[in-house]
Amino acid sequence: MALLDKFQAVASVRAGLNTSAHDPTRVLIDTILSATEGIVEGRRTILAGTNNYLGLTFDPACVAAGQSALASQGSGTTGSRMANGSYATHASLEQELAEFYGMPYGMVFSTGYAANLGTLAALLTQGDAVLLDADAHASLYDGCRMSGAEIFRFKHNDVVSLEKRLQRLGKRVENCLIVTEGLYSVLGDCAPLRQIVEVAQRFGAKLLVDEAHSLGVYGEHGRGVAEVEGVLDRVDFVVGTFSKSLGAMGGFCVSPHPELKLFRYVSRPFIFTASSSPSIIATTREALRQLRARPQLRQTLWRNARQLYQGLQSIDYTLGPEVSPVVAVRIGEKEAALECWNRLLELGIYVNLMIPPASPDSFSYLRCSVSAAHTTAQIDTILEAFQQLRNS
Amino acid sequence: MSNTNASIEQQIISLLVSYLAPRWESDPQARTEITGATNLTSDLTLDSFQVMEFLMEIEDALDLAIDMNSLSDVHTVSDLAALVASRLNA
Repeated sequence: MALLDKFQAVASVRAGLNTSAHDPTRVLIDTILSATEGIVEGRRTILAGTNNYLGLTFDPACVAAGQSALASQGSGTTGSRMANGSYATHASLEQELAEFYGMPYGMVFSTGYAANLGTLAALLTQGDAVLLDADAHASLYDGCRMSGAEIFRFKHNDVVSLEKRLQRLGKRVENCLIVTEGLYSVLGDCAPLRQIVEVAQRFGAKLLVDEAHSLGVYGEHGRGVAEVEGVLDRVDFVVGTFSKSLGAMGGFCVSPHPELKLFRYVSRPFIFTASSSPSIIATTREALRQLRARPQLRQTLWRNARQLYQGLQSIDYTLGPEVSPVVAVRIGEKEAALECWNRLLELGIYVNLMIPPASPDSFSYLRCSVSAAHTTAQIDTILEAFQQLRNS
Repeated sequence: MSNTNASIEQQIISLLVSYLAPRWESDPQARTEITGATNLTSDLTLDSFQVMEFLMEIEDALDLAIDMNSLSDVHTVSDLAALVASRLNA
């Protein structure tokens, strides 16, 4: 096979998506109007698939912080954190994140993907074993692969499956990391972290939790599912992103282990990339302040999540297993899901289309994500559109 | 192929038949005979995630640990049997 021949298979998959009026992989938001609305193909469209959980992308304080940093510190750092790209503001954000989680050490990466890649590639090496939840995000898989560690999958959220695999590792368990998420991003279900922590500690394995979708969403203080489960002080590494609840871009790792301070010397995704621009860091720091100071954002988010979940339930859709700001509507076959997704877009509603193998089972889903910035009227409009799908 | 490998191959074929049963029930035309030469992706149309799912089934059925990294050289049922045999005999 010649170098470029492999793209014929990609073209074939893409052609399958082109059978409908709109291609879900090529949606263009011509104008973004707010945290919850944009102009798509000339239509005012409610955005219900953006992971903008707290709706902070247009928050005046966050925007002002970014504008101020842009004016005073310039457009970019033009260098790696290991060279000229470490500004005081990067270090401040690391301290603020560590303090937020009640952990002594924090590290900031340029993207959420880089945070997972960089943390796992630094933490693991050949000869180590990693036990990965079967539904874990691609960035976690890629980080594990990059490390050279042996990867074993356990069944999604199945503590018995995890325990069996720990037993099979025998003495190797002391070189073992368990990797799970807080809130899973496709079906909107949470990991049983209390049980996972108990098993990890009983076997002496370390635990990493990715709270990308749960930061700012779960817990009294918005620290994530580990906070809700009361086990945050027993998690070895928490990773997450700034590109969802915090409405910016970047990622982080916090830990009680002092070795985290040494990751920067061995983490290639950290070393060989430019650091985040000062305006991004300033926006993120302000968003973290907003997250902490305004618990009402979380309350509004959950009110909206309940309204959407219960509304869809009442019109007999099959949904993910629990109420959460990620509401997955099971459609079934890929073709039907693509048709429904198109119809929703034409009705002025943007959601995410999840089809196998991107979905965690053999079904296709319309994935909605709710924001604190959605109004009750917007959620009603989303529900009316789903009702029209039911009627057609 | 040793008898042990042949026996493992038969076990894997039985597990595959069970794994594919729901799909074959809804799509009887997809049903096909499985042999050692059967390719998991081109003949059985399993995608990469389904192959990993099936690997977990094998691990639990035979109570052994097989890392995902080893799957890169697995294409056929015989390849999978050889991998399982290597872990059982390790």
